[in-house]
Amino acid sequence: MNEPILKIEHLTHVYSQGTPFELTAVRDVDLEIRKGEVLALIGHTGSGKSTLIQHLNALIKPTSGRVLLNGQDIFESKKSVKAARAAVGLVFQYPEYQLFEETVYKDIAFGPKNMKLPQDEIDGRVRRAARFVGLEEDVLERAPFDLSGGQKRRAAIAGVIAMLPEVLVLDEPMAGLDPAGRESIMENILSYHDETNAAIVIVTHSMDEAARYAHRMAVLDHGRVAMTGTPEEVFSHGAELRAMGLATPVMTDLSERLIALGVQVPGNVYTVERMADALMALERGRERA
Amino acid sequence: MLKDVTLGQYFPGTTVVHRLDPRTKILLVVLYIVALFCAKTWLAYLLVGVCLAAAIAAARIRLSAMLKGLKPLIFIVLLTGLLNLFYGRGEPIARFWIFKITREGIENAVFMVLRIVMLVMGTFMLTYTTSPIMLTYGLELLMKPLKVLKVPVHELAMMMSMALRLIPTLIEETDKIISAQKARGAEFDTGNLIQKAKAMLPILIPLFLSSFRRADELATAMEARCYHGGEGRTRLNVLHMAARDVLALCLGAALVAAVVVLSKFGL
Repeated sequence: MNEPILKIEHLTHVYSQGTPFELTAVRDVDLEIRKGEVLALIGHTGSGKSTLIQHLNALIKPTSGRVLLNGQDIFESKKSVKAARAAVGLVFQYPEYQLFEETVYKDIAFGPKNMKLPQDEIDGRVRRAARFVGLEEDVLERAPFDLSGGQKRRAAIAGVIAMLPEVLVLDEPMAGLDPAGRESIMENILSYHDETNAAIVIVTHSMDEAARYAHRMAVLDHGRVAMTGTPEEVFSHGAELRAMGLATPVMTDLSERLIALGVQVPGNVYTVERMADALMALERGRERA
Repeated sequence: MLKDVTLGQYFPGTTVVHRLDPRTKILLVVLYIVALFCAKTWLAYLLVGVCLAAAIAAARIRLSAMLKGLKPLIFIVLLTGLLNLFYGRGEPIARFWIFKITREGIENAVFMVLRIVMLVMGTFMLTYTTSPIMLTYGLELLMKPLKVLKVPVHELAMMMSMALRLIPTLIEETDKIISAQKARGAEFDTGNLIQKAKAMLPILIPLFLSSFRRADELATAMEARCYHGGEGRTRLNVLHMAARDVLALCLGAALVAAVVVLSKFGL
């Protein structure tokens, strides 16, 4: 197993402590993010996902607990906070609303510029990041506000990728896009993962997407980590997931129904491909009999 | 961060003060301010102070919340105090260089500071115990007579309630944009004044854009629901003055009368 790059230890976050609006968003969370993995962070609205990920690059301070980046506490000093901001790239929900520069190029260059990189390095990174997210060269000189919704989203994601983070955290990167757009953005993100071996953390509601792309999953419920494990392990607890108000992948539902009907499919089938294989195997078994 | 701003915040509750009609509370605050400005003696200030303390206690507002709201005003309060301290007429009790301090000066300074602090605390009581919607509804009803003078009362109230409604949203949005730009390594507290001002651009531009977008969407949504101003609109919850409102208003009037009398006789 790969070694962890980020380690969250006993992290608790309380909003507006000591006022009538006090709210514990994250409660005693232990979680590690390993080098080169794709981790899906799942949980229904208000389960503390967004609060949790903002701790990963030191945007908010934990009420108690620690976050370790390569073994070092990221809140230790100003320097370690800065290092965490560069090493952990965070893409917020609807990131297109943070675009502000005159051209897409300048906007993508904002991050690398803040890292005080030399000019030619910035240029290289901007073009590389644009390539990762599938933006054509000629788009770079246009104003971000002239782009379509999907292209804006890509430009904003490129703005974080240009910092070449070792951990790329994305909060609902596909929200509000059409199916084709969802798939192609996900593939762009995975191509960044493949080329740089960065760890990817994806916050999502979609179980089917988690099932398709994640190596590992963490399920949050009321600010606690309710489950971690491979998609196979997590989806074998279908009933518990549903009790938390989460859906299960369509194929998990199908396999559960088939099993209830007495069809002998294995219980860990959660993608279309696996379901096809399982059914084919059954079919072949019947022919032989 | 920004979320901790208490100025103008509403603390939900079910105390008598919370349940008072917003019109009553607005009028009470007006009466309270009148009383505060009529007060010229220690006893009068004491009386107004006791009323304020009683209201705070009845609304179960924590003193820490009150003091937190006063924090941004410390500078103004101190400056006013200092200025008044040196501008007193009468027999000086201490002097240095061109400054002299008199008994009246000290008294004036203390009164001025008390007046500002109590003024702010009193108005806080209104916003702490009245939800913004109730507040604007109350104002709309109170201003209704101005319609005769062709003042667009309903429109003003609608604008106010929308503005109030959007403040928390904008704060949240600002928070989010700040976080997003910080995540890209932006720093807002380093460099000289010009650099700091420049560093605000990545926040202000997206914020402006989203405000315009939001306003546009809101206008469309209102039109889609056939909004055409206040003519003939009815309310889901109509306000009714209760016995407690009449009682509270009588107490307010009594306070003003008492303060005026006390000050008149120099007690």
